[in-house]
Amino acid sequence: MKDIFKDVMGIAGVHGLMVITNEGSVLLSRFDPDYRREEEKLSQINWEPFTIEMNSIKDAEIVYDSARFYIKKRDTEFLIVIIGDNAPISMVRLNCEILLPLLKKIQPASKRIGNLLRKKIF
Amino acid sequence: MRPNVLIVDDDQAFLRLIQKDLEGFSESFNVLTADAGNAALELLKKTYVSFIVSDLRMPGMDGFEFLTIILKKFPDIPVYMMTSYDKPKTKDVVIKSGAAGYLKKPFTAIELFGEITKTLNKKAEGGSLHNVTLETFLQLIEMEQQTSTLRVVDKKEAQGGVLFFRNGELMNARVGDMQGKAAAYEILSWSNVSLSIEQDCVFQEKIIQGDLQAILLDAMRVKDELAEKNEMGDDAENSEILLDAPLSETEEDLAEAKFEPPVDRISTKKPETTVKVHPIKEAVELSKLSPIDTIRMKIKNSIGDRDGILDIFHDPNWDALIDQASNIGNAFNCGRLNVLYVNREKDDQFIIVPGEETTAISISADAPWDRIIDVLG
Repeated sequence: MKDIFKDVMGIAGVHGLMVITNEGSVLLSRFDPDYRREEEKLSQINWEPFTIEMNSIKDAEIVYDSARFYIKKRDTEFLIVIIGDNAPISMVRLNCEILLPLLKKIQPASKRIGNLLRKKIF
Repeated sequence: MRPNVLIVDDDQAFLRLIQKDLEGFSESFNVLTADAGNAALELLKKTYVSFIVSDLRMPGMDGFEFLTIILKKFPDIPVYMMTSYDKPKTKDVVIKSGAAGYLKKPFTAIELFGEITKTLNKKAEGGSLHNVTLETFLQLIEMEQQTSTLRVVDKKEAQGGVLFFRNGELMNARVGDMQGKAAAYEILSWSNVSLSIEQDCVFQEKIIQGDLQAILLDAMRVKDELAEKNEMGDDAENSEILLDAPLSETEEDLAEAKFEPPVDRISTKKPETTVKVHPIKEAVELSKLSPIDTIRMKIKNSIGDRDGILDIFHDPNWDALIDQASNIGNAFNCGRLNVLYVNREKDDQFIIVPGEETTAISISADAPWDRIIDVLG
């Protein structure tokens, strides 16, 4: 799974990326070690109101003073890439086009943990 | 106006110490400090800085990342890198990365003062002229096909901008982190300015298209319109440039400097709307142009007629999304929400500008939305 995100995370200026379901659950989260604290804060957000507002989009970009959130929607998930203001955004967009079709292979973390527990217990 | 020198280091004790040590040179320059690269960039957007000294190793944005951003967004500001982790090749790497100089910690305030004055004197090497309007002076540069970097200080608003000329052609302009034609118009809208000249230009590529005469005419038209609307016109008799002398200031200059507001009292407050602060915008606000007209003018000035804009209107339907996006930005600690681009499934695209009233810009499929975001972001 790490390989899927390696190319995006390898782009200079990419701070992290997240995959969030339409219901607002965080499926996956990968961040640069310098942004662990921010990752933790983002994982605690209730994303559902945001995903509701973003329901009808194909893609979006949110520009802040010192970062940009690139958001791409698939059928059931949103891919969110967080980049610094000097990152090559076109490279991020291109890589996300490649990355998104691979997301169907990703399953929610909770389901995977459930499977693991089932194996251990039974 | 005394130049501002910015020192960036995550070591707060060092910042306090160096600031105190440099107090003795306060007649030559003001010392500003920032404890992180991001904080420094925020300060640079609002304050005109002439020289930067940055630590190499800092948590979060390190010195190299900071230097890269400065070279891109503020290419005229010389950056010295400093470090206590001096390895044999560190200096080479730092200089090759684009730094103007390198200082090994520990260093004395005298050493730093020497580097600062050497650099600042070079920035004002072009001498001085008086009683010439900015427009006339720029035309002289064009006629003489000069290569130079002009640092223009708007005395009225206590902020600065830079015009870059190569062989008499206006290559680029910068105000805060804004570059290009919009920045040039802004500088040319200033009436009461001082100017320093460096006989060099960092730009090889012409970023501002069009010739200087056309830009000057456009800028003068905008200036006249604003002056009429403001019914001010009181700057007309003061529209002369007074060039900044090099650091060896005369007593008269120093006396004048005493009337400048201290840097820490220069207003850095941004307006409620999210479009970046600059004099054109402030003048527009004064003249009671609507935020929609302001946005339209900014885009037109920067991109021209092929902006792909279909409509601009207030639309509160985006408020909930803006609230959510602001919350997310707060969690990531990445500053204020400036602008959103939304491409919807029905292939309609919008650029959303937060403000007292949310503004939606409907754009065509082939609109240069990236550039519009840059203008508004």
